[in-house]
Amino acid sequence: MADPMHQFEIHKVVDLPAISVPGIGAIDLSITNSTVSMLIAATLVVVFFAVATAKAAIVPGRMQVIGEGVFGYIDDLVAGIIGPEGRKFFPFVFTLFLFILAMNVLGLFLVFTATSQLAVTASLAVMTMLLVIGYGVLRNGANMYKLFVPAGIPWYMLILVTPIEIISFVLRPVTLALRLFGNMLGGHVALKVFAGFVVSLGAMAAGGGLGLLGIPGAALSLGGVVALTALEFLVAFLQAFVFAVLACVYLNDVVNLGHHH
Amino acid sequence: MAAETTSPPTADLRDGHTAADAAPGHGPAGTTEVAAHGADSGGLPQFKFEYWGGQIVWLFLIFAVLYTLLAKVFVPRLRKIKDDRAATIAAAVTEARSVQAEAEAQAAAAQAEIAEAHSRSRRLASDAKTKAASDLATSQKAEDDRLQAQMDEAETRIRGLRDQAMTNVRGIAADTAQAIVEKLTGQKLSTAEVNAALAAQGAV
Repeated sequence: MADPMHQFEIHKVVDLPAISVPGIGAIDLSITNSTVSMLIAATLVVVFFAVATAKAAIVPGRMQVIGEGVFGYIDDLVAGIIGPEGRKFFPFVFTLFLFILAMNVLGLFLVFTATSQLAVTASLAVMTMLLVIGYGVLRNGANMYKLFVPAGIPWYMLILVTPIEIISFVLRPVTLALRLFGNMLGGHVALKVFAGFVVSLGAMAAGGGLGLLGIPGAALSLGGVVALTALEFLVAFLQAFVFAVLACVYLNDVVNLGHHH
Repeated sequence: MAAETTSPPTADLRDGHTAADAAPGHGPAGTTEVAAHGADSGGLPQFKFEYWGGQIVWLFLIFAVLYTLLAKVFVPRLRKIKDDRAATIAAAVTEARSVQAEAEAQAAAAQAEIAEAHSRSRRLASDAKTKAASDLATSQKAEDDRLQAQMDEAETRIRGLRDQAMTNVRGIAADTAQAIVEKLTGQKLSTAEVNAALAAQGAV
């Protein structure tokens, strides 16, 4: 059976010279299959919106309805979680959602899923948390400590609560990165394993004799692959959505610091 | 060994499959391949850190371009369409409301006009009736007066004629009485005496 991890191998497509960054070392900027799939995902998003908004009309066409639907969906999400101030974060959340969704869905059509690379999900998570921290400090200044010190709690409880809050905040980028990474990794591994069963059980049946029992097994595995593929489409959307929702929730924490709206 | 076993997967995905599937005896080699990866890079290809730098740099570049395009081009475009649509609908609704209000006002005006015309015609009819009645009364009165006047005139004439006739009767009676007295007594009575006697008798 083929190695289920093989699909996550990164290989270079176009060799580019490495650049050396002082303090970090050499960074190989070669275009890899991961880079290619990110580029395709981003291009698809841009092409889709270019087509959807090309003939912007009051009475929309088919593509425009879809584009406006996605737009309205995320717009309502951001406004609902962050409130009226969320509008300035909308492009960021919108980009996150579309980019992750495109990479996830492309992974079901192409041989490579960029969001199954921890480097990609971790970068997205760190970028989100850097925005949260950066905006939080810019907006709240020294009041940022309130993030870890909930109001209206007695001091002796704070001794317990504050470390928990700090740990949970530090773990946010980790969970954000691992959730997306794990879902994509697990889904594609499961798909590959079931698909491998189809082939190996079929090969067993080809041997004849008792090996013929492999035929129902192979059929079952094939059904499993079909069902899992459907599930993976749901997961692809859901994980992009969850990432966007959590980005909104974390942004809301610093936008509306110390008071709930 | 690691270099030798990692080279086939990087060639092509499908090649890797067929190579592994076609040669079941190669199975242990596959496991050693995984094991070799594990030894090198913690089990998953994702933990080959030599590819992290490039992926991260490219990710940020692509994300930045995508963000810029969305934030500067597509989001404002979509926002504008939605705002335009909302404005168009609001304007249409306002216009429809004003048209409806105007129609209602016109209907009310027409109603009022009809009511006014009704009352005007009713007044006209009653005026005509009153005028006709008063005309009738006037002409009747005039006719009555004329008839009355004629009757009065006729009565006066009759009375005059009767008085004249009565005066004649008196004259005749006086003459007759004078003649009777003369025939009976041979005495001629003066007119004054006869008149006095007639007045004393109360004759007219």
